[in-house]
Amino acid sequence: MPLRLIFRNLLKHKLRFVLTVAALGMAVFLVCVLRSLVVALDAGVRAAKSDRLVVQSAVSLFVDLPLSYETKIGSVDGVRTLTQFKYFGGTYQEEPGYFAQFGVDAGRLLEIYDEMEIVDGSQEEFARHRTHCLIGKVLAEGRGWKVGQRVPLVSDMFPRADGGPWEFTVAGIYRSRSSTVDESTLFFHFDYLFESVESGSAEGPNGAGVYAVLLEPGADPVAVMRDIDAMFQNGPQRVQTTTEAEFNAQFVTMMGNVPFFLSMIGGGVLAAILLAVVNTMMLAGREQTRDAGVLKSLGFTDGAVSGVLLTQSLIVCLLGGLLGVAAALAVSEPLAAVLGPNVAGFALTSEVILQALLISLALGLLAGLGPAVRARRLEVVEALRAEV
Amino acid sequence: MFVPLSYNLKSLLVRRASTALTVVSIGATVAVLAGVLSLQQGFETLFKETGRADVAVFLRPGAGSEGESGISREKADVLKKSLAEIALNAAGLPLASAESYLAVRMRKLDSGETNVPIRGVEPMTFEIFGDQIRVTAGQRLRPGTDEVIVGRKLTRRVRGCQLGEVITLNTTPFRVVGVFDCEGPFSSEIWGDLDRIADALERPVYNRVIARLKPGLDVQAFAERMADHKDVPVKVQTERAYLADQTGALSITLRVIGVFLATIMGVAAVFTSTNTMLAALAARSHEIGILLSVGFRPIPVFLSFMSEALVLGLFGGVLGILITLPLSGVETGTTNWNTFTEVAFAFRVTPQVMKSAILFALILGLFGGALPAWRAARMDPVEALRRR
Repeated sequence: MPLRLIFRNLLKHKLRFVLTVAALGMAVFLVCVLRSLVVALDAGVRAAKSDRLVVQSAVSLFVDLPLSYETKIGSVDGVRTLTQFKYFGGTYQEEPGYFAQFGVDAGRLLEIYDEMEIVDGSQEEFARHRTHCLIGKVLAEGRGWKVGQRVPLVSDMFPRADGGPWEFTVAGIYRSRSSTVDESTLFFHFDYLFESVESGSAEGPNGAGVYAVLLEPGADPVAVMRDIDAMFQNGPQRVQTTTEAEFNAQFVTMMGNVPFFLSMIGGGVLAAILLAVVNTMMLAGREQTRDAGVLKSLGFTDGAVSGVLLTQSLIVCLLGGLLGVAAALAVSEPLAAVLGPNVAGFALTSEVILQALLISLALGLLAGLGPAVRARRLEVVEALRAEV
Repeated sequence: MFVPLSYNLKSLLVRRASTALTVVSIGATVAVLAGVLSLQQGFETLFKETGRADVAVFLRPGAGSEGESGISREKADVLKKSLAEIALNAAGLPLASAESYLAVRMRKLDSGETNVPIRGVEPMTFEIFGDQIRVTAGQRLRPGTDEVIVGRKLTRRVRGCQLGEVITLNTTPFRVVGVFDCEGPFSSEIWGDLDRIADALERPVYNRVIARLKPGLDVQAFAERMADHKDVPVKVQTERAYLADQTGALSITLRVIGVFLATIMGVAAVFTSTNTMLAALAARSHEIGILLSVGFRPIPVFLSFMSEALVLGLFGGVLGILITLPLSGVETGTTNWNTFTEVAFAFRVTPQVMKSAILFALILGLFGGALPAWRAARMDPVEALRRR
């Protein structure tokens, strides 16, 4: 196939070439970002571990479990250990930017979540001091916090009697090897919270939120779930025990149609860009009618002649695809920082990149097909007579 | 002298395929923007336009929403009975009632779980809202019984919400005796008797007090007085202001998504329409040469091609709106992240949305046409005439 002709043709209209590639690049960029969003939304579901269960109120996400449930759940066959998880809802010095805080069992957190790894400071320090906390790597980097940093937090849910903020001291910084634990959370001692409310030095609901349960190796999760649920069947607070995957999935279903809308928009973007590329390739095809005639009269086969057009289309689309993927790669980190904990786990996976490139090639094929078929059918005499 | 517009219109008709493709690709871009905007409009009108300015909402100081708020029974009684600012009904009783509120876990009709707000109300609640609350099937709940009425929008989304069905809250069964409708977010809620709901959910503390205010009251001054009240300090807002506060996060998210998508797709659309216009120009060099040589000045030629681009943009805009129009009125649901509850709302293609869409389309046309029109105006007539 005359490769040089293909490149000459592509560069004959430089502006058109650049604009087409750029437009394609933007569309592919959007598709990458939208796909990554959809993938990120249920990253926590796919990464969930099968040896962890979550016990939550069967009534409402906002109802706490009684503290007495801890020993009762701990006594169920197959349960190795467990920790409370109490949402704190604190804000840091009126600074914008949200991060989650949870009260947990400081001694057991890392045993249950073994994907967490301390990269600075120490777990022992954290466990030893009632007012110390662990923070995620992303949070630490984002705010410039180091081990020893004091973090005052005000919580609407747990106002302190003295009117001041809660003071936490960073004992350690963790990283996470899985998207089940995000790296912008602050974990502190549940006991500190509970004792403050108990002694009257703070107000607020006195319950445990949910319990995260680690199973004994080889325990049957279905049996354990059934046993825990049955234990509290008649109250005082009915519970619903689920696998970690199901627990995470409930937050995804809460998004309702959002993932569907994101996919719809992605489809719309692709349709629009397909039309644009088809348009451009049709133009190119018409302009090269006489060239096709010349090629044919020189003895090039019909296949080679239509191949010239098809290859042009494929090259344009592939270049656009590469540009889009490159742009998406370039912004994926800052974008992940902006989305923060709202869409934890936002990242451009190799799967999405591959999909984007395949889509680009498909676009190229679709757009090049029409002109290629037309070129193949051209009569030499007719083509040479063409005016354009 | 200006080039007649009919020249541009006719030439658009001559190259029908290319015109159609450009219009469709602008249309798809506009449709995405209009779709997201109409979603945001639907959401915003649901909350903003339905809240009443003559109904006050009393929350615990510092609480951002009723879910976070708590008002003890004693304080609620004081608020209901002792405030001169509250209007009286025909029987001379203050139009005020306490409410309990919790987002409870329910199964959706299709699949998955959602959080449905359940509200404990008093008979006076219905008097406060008057005709706004319409029971469309069955009857109103009788005070002091385990009966509930459900908002119309729930009947199509959530299990157990049909007339005669039973909804179990923790361990207490409640019978659905009526379906009610209402403009605003109440239509996605379940209402029951205040104390029966509070008992079933084991929540001794009410969440908020609402009251109809006397006409002409200075709400600002009232709110300031109540914030510093020595026995029952509370946060007071009109219902309208309260509901507007509940929409912040989602409304901003939708707007950001819309602008982000529209910007990137818009740039891509500008590139592709520049492309098609340039190609059209190349095919019409001869004509442009004639225009210039019969005495049309470059500026009218420039304007002529700009208006052609604007016409293309306008058609694209109209098409975009036509694509979105069937969506108008379609109901969808997502979680309102301010309250963590599901709200159902409809796409609303308002005149505002249409205006934005057309404006956006014209801007696309303007940018897409600028470069080609500039080139056309600057052509050398002799050169242009020579080309065929």
